[in-house]
Amino acid sequence: QRVLLLVASDVDALCACKILQALFQCDHVQYTLVPVSGWQELETAFLEHKDQFKYFVLINCGANVDLLEILQPEEDTLFFVCDSHRPINVVNVYNDTQIKLLVKQNDDLDVPAYDDIFRDEEDEEEDSDNESNGSEPSEKRRRFEEDVIERTMKRRQRREWEARRREILFDYEQYEYHGTSSAMVMFDLAWIMSKDLNDMLWWAIVGLTDQWVQDKITQMKYVTDIGILQRHVSRHNHRNEDEENSLSIDCMRIAFEYDLRLALYQHWSLYESLCNTSYTSASLKLWSVQGQKRLQEFLADMGLPLKQVKQKFNSMDMSLKENLREMIEESANKFGMKDLRVQTFSIHFGFKNKFSASDIVYATASLMENIEKEGPETTNFIKALDSLSRGNLDKLHLGLDLAKKQLRAIQQTVASCICTNLVISQ
Amino acid sequence: MPVVKDHSGWMRKFKNKGKDTAALRRQRVEVSIELRKARKDEQILKRRSILFSLVDENLSLGEEKRNEIIQLSLEEIVEAVNGSNTELQLQATQATRRMLSRQKDPPINQIIELGIIPKLVEFLTHADNAPLQFEAAWALTNIASGTSDHTKAVVEGGAIPAFISLLSSPHMHISEQSVWALGNIAGDGPLYRDALINCNAIPPLLALVSPVTPVGFLRNITWTLSNLCRNKNPYPPLDAVKKMLPVFICLMEHEDKDIISDSCWAISYLTDGCNDRIQIVVDTGILSRLVELMARPELIIMTPALRAIGNVVTGTDEQTQAAIDAGVLAVLPCLLRHAKPAIQKEAAWTLSNIAAGPCWQIQQLITCGLLTPLVELLDKGDFKAQKEAVWAVANFTTGGNVEQVVELVRSGVLKPLLNLLLAKDSKTILVILDTISNIFLAAEKMGEAERLCLLVEELDGLEKIEALQTHDNNMVYRAALNLIERYFSGEETPDLQPGTGHDGLYDFSVEKQDFDF
Repeated sequence: QRVLLLVASDVDALCACKILQALFQCDHVQYTLVPVSGWQELETAFLEHKDQFKYFVLINCGANVDLLEILQPEEDTLFFVCDSHRPINVVNVYNDTQIKLLVKQNDDLDVPAYDDIFRDEEDEEEDSDNESNGSEPSEKRRRFEEDVIERTMKRRQRREWEARRREILFDYEQYEYHGTSSAMVMFDLAWIMSKDLNDMLWWAIVGLTDQWVQDKITQMKYVTDIGILQRHVSRHNHRNEDEENSLSIDCMRIAFEYDLRLALYQHWSLYESLCNTSYTSASLKLWSVQGQKRLQEFLADMGLPLKQVKQKFNSMDMSLKENLREMIEESANKFGMKDLRVQTFSIHFGFKNKFSASDIVYATASLMENIEKEGPETTNFIKALDSLSRGNLDKLHLGLDLAKKQLRAIQQTVASCICTNLVISQ
Repeated sequence: MPVVKDHSGWMRKFKNKGKDTAALRRQRVEVSIELRKARKDEQILKRRSILFSLVDENLSLGEEKRNEIIQLSLEEIVEAVNGSNTELQLQATQATRRMLSRQKDPPINQIIELGIIPKLVEFLTHADNAPLQFEAAWALTNIASGTSDHTKAVVEGGAIPAFISLLSSPHMHISEQSVWALGNIAGDGPLYRDALINCNAIPPLLALVSPVTPVGFLRNITWTLSNLCRNKNPYPPLDAVKKMLPVFICLMEHEDKDIISDSCWAISYLTDGCNDRIQIVVDTGILSRLVELMARPELIIMTPALRAIGNVVTGTDEQTQAAIDAGVLAVLPCLLRHAKPAIQKEAAWTLSNIAAGPCWQIQQLITCGLLTPLVELLDKGDFKAQKEAVWAVANFTTGGNVEQVVELVRSGVLKPLLNLLLAKDSKTILVILDTISNIFLAAEKMGEAERLCLLVEELDGLEKIEALQTHDNNMVYRAALNLIERYFSGEETPDLQPGTGHDGLYDFSVEKQDFDF
């Protein structure tokens, strides 16, 4: 049985996709991959393929709408939805047959009780039928137990129920948010199947990091999920602690880091990274003259000469890099940046290759969002997907470069908007 | 990258800025959840599977218990009903009423077998015991609501005169219940209907209609009266009809939809007969009100009003004209385009009967713009409606003069008409072929037969007619052959250059001439 994989265009989805592809390969499942970047594409892709496929896997799309209503599939079509979008549409939750949701067990969905929102239509009074279709009046009528008062009561009860239902649904659906990263869910699946590999773990980390970078989850959730992944990281990577049985340097290792949240700083210069990370540029207000001054003060406070700071990070003096993280953290606190360090992971393979999870997120995202498109629509998506594999370092480096361009462009655009008073406070 | 903050607090700050929750609620678009019906039962079953087994257990337990209760009670009921203790009589009657008024499977047969119906009928006469009268009336109503045998049991227990007396009870709920019971008896068929009429049920019924009668009561009366107008073989007696009509006229002015609806149904029964019966209705002047009601959006009102008018125009030319004078032609176009196929069909049927009239009536069809919606219906309507529309066109071409037929063709009727030759129904095909023949006759009178041939050919009609020569039905084959032989086997006339009109079709123009008929 062939499967159609519909994958949304975000890094978490791509990571989840990678994991799933690896699992499919293990089990020799045949599948077709279709990237979708919106509802229209989802619908089109479905329509194009619905005659050839019975099984559809949706990654980071489809959970928050009534899928059956929108896609109108055949009765034997099955949808597996792994989507971090919340709230999940109630119809998807309560459909027992055609929609299968992949959700982590302790993800609290807060779904309203079935009886509060669905009602057996057959409870309706008989008059509704006759009234609506203008058929001839019955020749004989039986008078029922319940008299008018009871019927009015029933009607009132029904109205009350409906009002309550509206309220419940309103509360349930009024805020949109995100649940656990789909990549993490897929990793969980792999783990349950005892097929989890370090590579998959890394993708799960990247997926989670993507959610954090894009502000899709709260700090608390992020930290909790980091904790969960940390356990897996230990399990997969503890051999490195044992000197005797340590792995070859070429094997991939994941390490926990309490790292600086400066975008791409290890592949850039510290200066560039400080200027082009939203957190620092916004905290220091780098678009203004005072901001630039503050930056100088900040660097001075850390005792970092400008010349050093503007060099490629790898070329910075070792002595300066020694306690960099702690130093920066200390100074940052003085300048109102209390969260300059963040719990995260990094990946190492070979001597030269060390990447932070956020590095990968930025690189992959920029590949996907690359405005220069060569070839058909899906090229960027495929490139981004490929860059997640360790064998495609060239694509990764391309992504890093593009990410730098992107981050710079963002800063410049925002700075210019602010400076030309395009942003007005209401 | 988020700073540590309370999630919901942060969200609330952002979303509610400037608005309060009430305003937000008001702006919220209604969410309608529709569970796909195909899956619904499964889902409910699945979800409730635990519950169901519990309920079943309860039921089976309960039923045993309840059966016991019933059996005890059934015996007790008989005993009490036949006894002289009025309190027990009331209890027993009420228990009977309760059993008969439960939602599912009332034990009508069981109760009848107890043989207590004559007693219950007798209770109806206990003027000193209103509760007993009421319970007995309700119980008997429900027995009479079943099959013909059930109603028969009630009638044979002597219920008719008893209920008719109760119509004048000082207690409204009792007289209302009697109205209901009589409605069930009348609804059984013409036999009991006439029995009621012969027992003089109508005057006291009519007397109950007054401006102060509550709506619920009035609904019951209207329904019962409508049953007294119902059924054929035989039709209700004319004098009874004449008594009831004025009251229906009043009731049709009421604002309650059910009352209007049942009144219209009554009128539709009364117009479903010979022309004399139609005349009686027409004479009341009710037609304008009916046409008004035909234009109402509510199906329960529009359907019987349309049916009644449809019946009226099956009558004489004058009766049809009365309907036209009442404004039916202004309302029909909407109904011909109605979403519901049944309405389309009835409207087309009505139109076909008007089109069966003399040409001065057919002319009104043209002037009131009925041709366009007719052609539309012929083209895209529901198939059953299309069949009626075919009849309308056929009648038109039979009764219409040459000018009118030309007008019909100009309205674009040929294309959809010819398309319908592909229908599976032989009768329809025959009527269409007949119609085409009529149109050709008109064309011949104007010397335009050849142009019509070309037009038919242009519209792919010729190939369809030719195809019919191999039709299974003998008459179809012969009619098709006839047409072809008469009009399509002539020699080619290459020098005929037909002019094309602005719509690309051949211009079938007519010079104004005087036609003698």
